[in-house]
Amino acid sequence: MNKNNTAESIPNPSRRRFLARSGAAAVCAGALSAGLLSATAWAAKAVGEQASATLLRMARDIYPHDTLEDKYYSQVLTPLAKKAEQDAALQTLLKEGVAELDKRSHQRFGKPYLEVAVESDRVQILRAIEDGAFFQRLKGDLMMGIYNNPELWPRFGYGGSAWQHGGYINRGYDQIDWV
Amino acid sequence: MTTKFDLNDDSLVVIIGSGAGGGTLANELAQKGIRSVVLEAGKRFTLDDIENDEWKMFGKISWLDKRYVEGPARLAKDFPNLPAWIVKGVGGATMHWAGVAMRFQQHEFKMKSTNGVVPGANVLDWPITLQELEPYYLKAEKKMGVCGTEATGMPFHGKSSHYKVIAEGARRIGAKCEQATLAINTEIRDGRPACQVNGFCMQGCKIGAKWSTMYTEIPKAEATGNMELRPQSMVLRIEHDDKGRVTGVLYADRDGNQQLQKARVVAVAGNSIESPRMLLNSASSMFPDGLANSSGQVGQNYMTHVTGGVYAEFDKPVHMYKSTVVPGVVKQWQDNDPERGHYAGYELEILHLGLPFMSAFLNPGSSGWGRELAESLENYDKMAGFWICGEDMPVESNNISLHPTEKDQYGLPVPVVYKTDHINDTRMRNHAYDRSTELFESLGARKVNYLPPYPASHNMGTNRMSEKPRDGVVNKWGQSHDIKNLFVSDGSQFTTSGTENPTLTIVALAIRQADYIAEQMKRRQI
Repeated sequence: MNKNNTAESIPNPSRRRFLARSGAAAVCAGALSAGLLSATAWAAKAVGEQASATLLRMARDIYPHDTLEDKYYSQVLTPLAKKAEQDAALQTLLKEGVAELDKRSHQRFGKPYLEVAVESDRVQILRAIEDGAFFQRLKGDLMMGIYNNPELWPRFGYGGSAWQHGGYINRGYDQIDWV
Repeated sequence: MTTKFDLNDDSLVVIIGSGAGGGTLANELAQKGIRSVVLEAGKRFTLDDIENDEWKMFGKISWLDKRYVEGPARLAKDFPNLPAWIVKGVGGATMHWAGVAMRFQQHEFKMKSTNGVVPGANVLDWPITLQELEPYYLKAEKKMGVCGTEATGMPFHGKSSHYKVIAEGARRIGAKCEQATLAINTEIRDGRPACQVNGFCMQGCKIGAKWSTMYTEIPKAEATGNMELRPQSMVLRIEHDDKGRVTGVLYADRDGNQQLQKARVVAVAGNSIESPRMLLNSASSMFPDGLANSSGQVGQNYMTHVTGGVYAEFDKPVHMYKSTVVPGVVKQWQDNDPERGHYAGYELEILHLGLPFMSAFLNPGSSGWGRELAESLENYDKMAGFWICGEDMPVESNNISLHPTEKDQYGLPVPVVYKTDHINDTRMRNHAYDRSTELFESLGARKVNYLPPYPASHNMGTNRMSEKPRDGVVNKWGQSHDIKNLFVSDGSQFTTSGTENPTLTIVALAIRQADYIAEQMKRRQI
């Protein structure tokens, strides 16, 4: 996949502006993109718009694949939020988790997590809470949702189940052109 | 034909576990006309249950009963409840194994004589030699269908792209790399098909090309009418009489009812955590430290092999998943050469993981996230790599014990596994990381990732063989030093771990043990 992480690691003013704008857009459910809209609409009922946008940003920071559309992250967050509507403990975990994240962001950078523009700054905040239940719940669900998602396997160059195609014995198991 | 034996039939051999040791022993005995009951804790699966899906199969077949990992090793933090990656099901770990079938080297039976005392380790020579085991290795290779051996005449698998990359790297640094001798058919053999390279050896072979007792030894034994398999039968305790001989096995059946199966002989083959656990759980007034434990060595000297992973990222695709899981082995450092800075040897086994498992093991535990990891996973199709498999020093304090208060779903104390590196293990792993890096850099690797050890599939040593009763649990036949009609038939009888994957040696020992049990029964010694 293509990478464009350098844009984020350099504190570039226009990049900051873009991110701040995308955050603001998410907060007011603006129509920045259909993907982002659907990604935040999901969780509003359970945790609110701000929190849902924060969770999406956090999800993209945990496993940052810049070329993956938001919908793949929201496919993980949506069932989690749906579950939280029925599961008070989970709802508390998510709400308090986001509140804690914002608290730490305010202390460190004077603004909520969503508005911290530089990825490495946000990562600092996440590293401090990575052993906690909130972070681990999100990480675990994301790991399964991103890397165990057959729809995404072709994008990562992984073949998945092979027996029904007769394996690779006649499908290039021995093909390599650079050694 | 389904054979049923009576619970009160005390002429039977009761075998606990249906994997490489138990399954093989049951069939070998059955072919000689000796009747047995096999108690297997897990379910009976069929090939229809097997999927080419890493997490689904992990959830379906793994042994996930509560266990604790303790010790300063990273494993205890990353996987606090999963010391071992083994199977709860008929066939045991032979469902999960990658099929790597290598004989031990001569010196690996003589580690104490070879290196003398290694401080901090509890090293001992095996009471048997390679020469004694060779005829049984040959039988095991024939039974299992090991390719690339004289025993079968079956050719090796074709060279996969993953193999070719590593072989070229090995050539560039002058290291020996060979195709793996796998117990995976490359021709139709023994009623099983040839491998079609699905790439999911460790999820259970969907087509049955890989040897597993699940569809070889077990049904063959059943077909003789001399063996009854009882799946979902969890052993609670091994009973004995006032002469100190074992008399039967108490187990919980699939409905949770307790049953007592009487026995003439009991063979324990539940892998190296459950086997000592059973013996410890069977403590009585006559044997207050557990059965067969006059040496105090039951549960001690737990070995897993020195492991770790090394995965390199290249500029161009490798597609490592299009391969048997272990297509080859770099054997350059398999010998015992203390000049390297460590005793004993290791092998670099070319091995692929699918993307789902790579995401879990590349940097396991709570801190495995972020851009660096994500970027490596974006290079999944350009990765090639190894699983390090080296000889593990036996250390008494690496052991299996019983939790003082916590019980599992059967009411048995939860096992606690303590495992950490001996300094020799650390040095060996570092040597392996360094040589792997050299190999990958010779090919222009962009990045080389070191993976810490993950839950152990090779578990050994917790009921070890010894010449003298004071040094170990069983004699050279796997027979308890203390209790004549009690045997250990799995990898827990290994005196030292060797460098090689344990299954072939477990099978060879089980074939040999069956001959001994048959002879001893005939002579009324047991």
